[in-house]
Amino acid sequence: MTGHQDGLRSMLRPVRGRITGGVVLQAVATVASLATFVAIHLLALELLRPEVDRGAVWAVVAFAAGALVVRLVAQAVGYQLMHDADIDFQLAVRRRVAAKLGRVPLGWFGARNSATVKKALADDIEAVHYLVAHALPDLTAAVVMPVSALLLLVVFDWRLTLATLVLLPLFAVLFVATGRRGSRQGERMAGAVAGITRAVVEFVQGIAVIKAFGGRDRADNRFHRAIDDYMVAFSAVKGPILKLSATAYALVSPAAMLLSATAAGTVFVALGLVRPIDVLPFVLLGLALTAPLVVITYGPQAFAAARAAAERVDEVLATAELPEPPVSGSPADSRVEFEHVTFGYQEGAPSLRDVGFVLEPGTVTALVGPSGAGKSTTAALLSRFFDPWEGSIRVGGVDLRDLDAAALYASVSFVFQDAGLVTASIADNIRLGRPDAGDDDVRAAAVAARCHDRITALPRGYDSVVGEDAQLSGGEAQRVAIARALLADAPVLVLDEATAFVDPESEAAIYDALSALVAGRTVLFVAHRLHTVTEADQILVLDAGTLVERGTHAELLTHDGVYRRLWQAAEQQGTPTGGRR
Amino acid sequence: MLRELIRVIGSGEARRIRLHLAAVLWHAVSQGVVFVLLVPLLRALLRGETDAALRWLAALAVAAVVTGVAYYVQALLGFRTAVAATGALYRRLGDHLGDLPLGWFAAVRLGSLTRLATAGVGEVTVVFAHLVGPLITAVATPLTVLVGMAVFDWRPALAMAATVPVLYAAYRWSTRVLAETDADVDAAIGRSNDRILEFAQRQSVLRAFGGGRAHQDRLDEVLVGQHEAGRRQLRRNSLARGLFGGAVQLSVTFVLAVSALLALGDTADVPQFIALAVLVVRFAEPVSALGDLGGSLRTVKARLAQVREILDVPPLPEPGRPRTPAGSRIELVDVRFRYPGSPTDRFLLDGVNAVIPANGVTALVGPSGSGKTTLTRLIARFWDVDSGSVRIGGVDVRELSAADRTALVAPVFQHVYLFEGTIAENVRLGRPDASDEDVAEAARLARVDEIVHRLPDGWDTRVGEGGAALSGGERQRVSLARAILKRAPVVILDEATAALDSVNEAAITDTVRALAGRCTLLVIAHQLSTVVDADRILVLDGGCVRESGTHQELMAVDGLYRRFWSERDRVGGWRLKSG
Ligand SMILES: Nc1ncnc2c1ncn2[C@@H]1O[C@H](COP(=O)(O)OP(=O)(O)OP(=O)(O)O)[C@@H](O)[C@H]1O
Ligand SMILES: Nc1ncnc2c1ncn2[C@@H]1O[C@H](COP(=O)(O)OP(=O)(O)OP(=O)(O)O)[C@@H](O)[C@H]1O
Ligand SMILES: [Mg+2]
Ligand SMILES: [Mg+2]
Repeated sequence: MTGHQDGLRSMLRPVRGRITGGVVLQAVATVASLATFVAIHLLALELLRPEVDRGAVWAVVAFAAGALVVRLVAQAVGYQLMHDADIDFQLAVRRRVAAKLGRVPLGWFGARNSATVKKALADDIEAVHYLVAHALPDLTAAVVMPVSALLLLVVFDWRLTLATLVLLPLFAVLFVATGRRGSRQGERMAGAVAGITRAVVEFVQGIAVIKAFGGRDRADNRFHRAIDDYMVAFSAVKGPILKLSATAYALVSPAAMLLSATAAGTVFVALGLVRPIDVLPFVLLGLALTAPLVVITYGPQAFAAARAAAERVDEVLATAELPEPPVSGSPADSRVEFEHVTFGYQEGAPSLRDVGFVLEPGTVTALVGPSGAGKSTTAALLSRFFDPWEGSIRVGGVDLRDLDAAALYASVSFVFQDAGLVTASIADNIRLGRPDAGDDDVRAAAVAARCHDRITALPRGYDSVVGEDAQLSGGEAQRVAIARALLADAPVLVLDEATAFVDPESEAAIYDALSALVAGRTVLFVAHRLHTVTEADQILVLDAGTLVERGTHAELLTHDGVYRRLWQAAEQQGTPTGGRR
Repeated sequence: MLRELIRVIGSGEARRIRLHLAAVLWHAVSQGVVFVLLVPLLRALLRGETDAALRWLAALAVAAVVTGVAYYVQALLGFRTAVAATGALYRRLGDHLGDLPLGWFAAVRLGSLTRLATAGVGEVTVVFAHLVGPLITAVATPLTVLVGMAVFDWRPALAMAATVPVLYAAYRWSTRVLAETDADVDAAIGRSNDRILEFAQRQSVLRAFGGGRAHQDRLDEVLVGQHEAGRRQLRRNSLARGLFGGAVQLSVTFVLAVSALLALGDTADVPQFIALAVLVVRFAEPVSALGDLGGSLRTVKARLAQVREILDVPPLPEPGRPRTPAGSRIELVDVRFRYPGSPTDRFLLDGVNAVIPANGVTALVGPSGSGKTTLTRLIARFWDVDSGSVRIGGVDVRELSAADRTALVAPVFQHVYLFEGTIAENVRLGRPDASDEDVAEAARLARVDEIVHRLPDGWDTRVGEGGAALSGGERQRVSLARAILKRAPVVILDEATAALDSVNEAAITDTVRALAGRCTLLVIAHQLSTVVDADRILVLDGGCVRESGTHQELMAVDGLYRRFWSERDRVGGWRLKSG
């Protein structure tokens, strides 16, 4: 884990006490678990006396029972403490991450697919759980158990201890060899797992395409490819070390340990070095010396995986946030200025170059141009989805970067082509921008956006959940988005092809709604249907990222340029009735 | 559990799985034998019979070596089985998903499914690599020990045997309780994964409307839900978890106490009792491992059940003897359809009758939500009709083989979805073995050539997840090129120019005309200009085709179509203007 301020490590602080407590209790429980072995040995000593002392025998049994109680209690309380700490910790981490997501630049999401994001947010946090709740107690047991057993045995007879452990060096050699080969591959596995998630996401979201284009039957289809990658990674990670590790574990398995303990013991007895009864502790405790080795040796792999996960979470937490101004400026009015704005999605390939324009308060400005010219990019910049590389964007005289989120989105609202509805009730979708809006306001907005009737036809009306019991067609979703913008009621409005999917009938309705929506606002209107923008106060023409023309419809038609070409093409598409365009 | 596993993975791996299990059993029993041999060995030692001790030691050594070999063999087999089973399971899952009706995907929760596909299948792998072995050992070794002990002295063996039902009951009870809370926690995790995923994907909208605070609260709600589910699990589990471990320890103490009692009354054979006491410990150790294994076993079982649930969803039924279509004429005969789970019992399409002639342009118009997109889905057989039939080339789509069906239709969807990768990869998806000339031709027809000329990375431009790194019009043109490249007899264009500027739109309209000669075209457009030239226009409204004919014919009667036009004229007069 990196040591920065907001990292996971600092988040562990509030639960550290409980974790320490859990570890201590686990250690106590582990030591107590050895008591049974000790009890048998004591019992044997007692029974082998010529004169058996019954009281002493029962004292030993009582000792074993007492140790048992200690162990059970310590273990239960320890487990409780650890998991309690872990649950709180996870909630804290998830909250922190969610809050972080709300503040990172949107470009951060664009640079990752949702599978990667999901892995960081869900899988990785779950993996950290292992670190907190299991790795520590397991490791504690794995260390305390052999160490205390070893101490006991050495006290009994150090020579026999050494002899019992003859196989250990062999194991150590093999284990070091496996560790060296294994650890490098962890990242590769993580990558392969993300690949599978991505394939599943594509499968679900792109299923129509997969079906229509026969991806399912093709040996090279993407899902199968992800599986193959995963299998190869899996075999490559685990395969080579398998024979080594299987041999290593066989060497310290219970059978092997019993063999070395009894063999050493028998030989020692035959040589007269020890009494037969002295062999007993070794037969009993010998296994305790190596049993936790499995944990210790598996531990680092799981531990490394969890650590890598923790690092990824930490990385997310360390992402630079969109800087929020210390004090938010407040826009004087709804005037929008773009000044020498240059911006692109990839370094060295700007999608907008040196774009400058002004939207006067209360005017409608149309943004037109061929596909890929940068219209949506301009709209996204005004909504501050990204910050420009160069230049500045101001609303009411204040740079967008000097507005905090609340002030910004109180001023700017939008309707995009992708309606962007969330899995929530229709009512909540409409009141997203004004959570305190009453049902009447929601209804009024829906009526204005001409989607009220469709909504009331849904099984649960306004309470129907989008994507669950409200499956909306393209045009329907768009009208809900318009209702949302209506309700948000911001003075600056950005419309990006807000009517692309709307049929003539509802288009008329929506145009009525839009007319209501734009009244008195400063509007930036991205449109392909040129006839809708002929009366705009100002038309901006973008081509390949540059602002090439500006003016009113009439002005722009006077010279041979991009706009006139677009207009002529639109005219040619014109219809026999002539009523349009 | 085993049968379940084989069922889920597919019987192809059954032999391998059985072999692995046999090796595991072999290991468990020979380990038990090693433990049992401790008794005569220790007894001989304690009695001072060194020669006998050496003989027993030799026997134990042989058994231990056999056990070691068995361990090695089962570990290797376990790994190979794990790899093979995981691969088989994934492939099965993938193929099955590909066969499911589209409706299933509309309802699926992405978060839960991805979790199942990654964590879930991973856990199935773990079964073979790390679970089956210890699990069988935890049962078979103690049983071997029990039998061995009975051979030496039936009395402690009896005491030990008496604990078995108690242990079994404790195990069952605790696993049941744990499983219940597991399901609870699992559901909570699935919910919060879904919400997180959406929270990430919808950031722009969420931020723009109130900084997403309301939604952040909604997210927090499920996070807290998950936290509480965890809490509940912890509360209920603490007893259940402790129970089994406690029962094992108690049993050991009990058997030891009985042994001590017996030894006190029967001092003659103290060495044997001591040796048997050691055996008691060896009996208990593998059993107590069961407690921890039980947890993993539960998770795996739950996952298997989830995988099974998916595998049990019936796929779109395939014809036993597929028929080959003759031509590409499409007929819709009395088509009735509504989406499964739709709230009203009204059919969305209620008796649609129409003919879409081969090698012509047919336009489908109708108000938003009238079912135009749905009709195209039925033609591509993404769903099955409730009654009536959809025929292509005279053959009901349900009687076409999956391969024929896929080959017949090339759709351009209203909602374009591109796969993460390059423009070239996405276009080539249409026909992977297409020549470079064909690709260039499709690109020209769909105006993708303009895109690859303009963008710095050209054909290698990455399109982003779903196509998000392209502009709306670029995305649409790439999907059009994909469909054109496919050269399917039937091409469906659903709002294929909705996101295009007029110059590109004009070019695409030309392309549509050019395509008309060589395939059956079904065009959905809200811009009636695209519709005017169609050979035939179908007007869909209220669940059926209200009017059909050419533009001239339809304009001649006072019907829906003409009303569309006048509406359009009214709208045509609309201008966005201030004030
Ligand atoms: N997320 C992104 N990552 C990388 N490049 C992008 C991204 N979004 C858009 N682009 C590129 O930036 C350029 C401008 O895109 P933009 O979406 O602004 O175009 P547009 O004018 O809105 O086009 P359209 O009319 O097709 O919607 C395009 O070349 C596009 O490929
Ligand atoms: N997967 C689905 N599950 C349930 N209902 C759906 C589903 N897809 C669409 N619907 C509903 O079926 C109706 C018809 O939808 P469809 O998409 O076919 O309309 P459309 O005519 O294409 O409309 P548009 O012009 O707006 O695209 C709509 O009311 C829609 O809400
Ligand atoms: Mg755009
Ligand atoms: Mg549609």
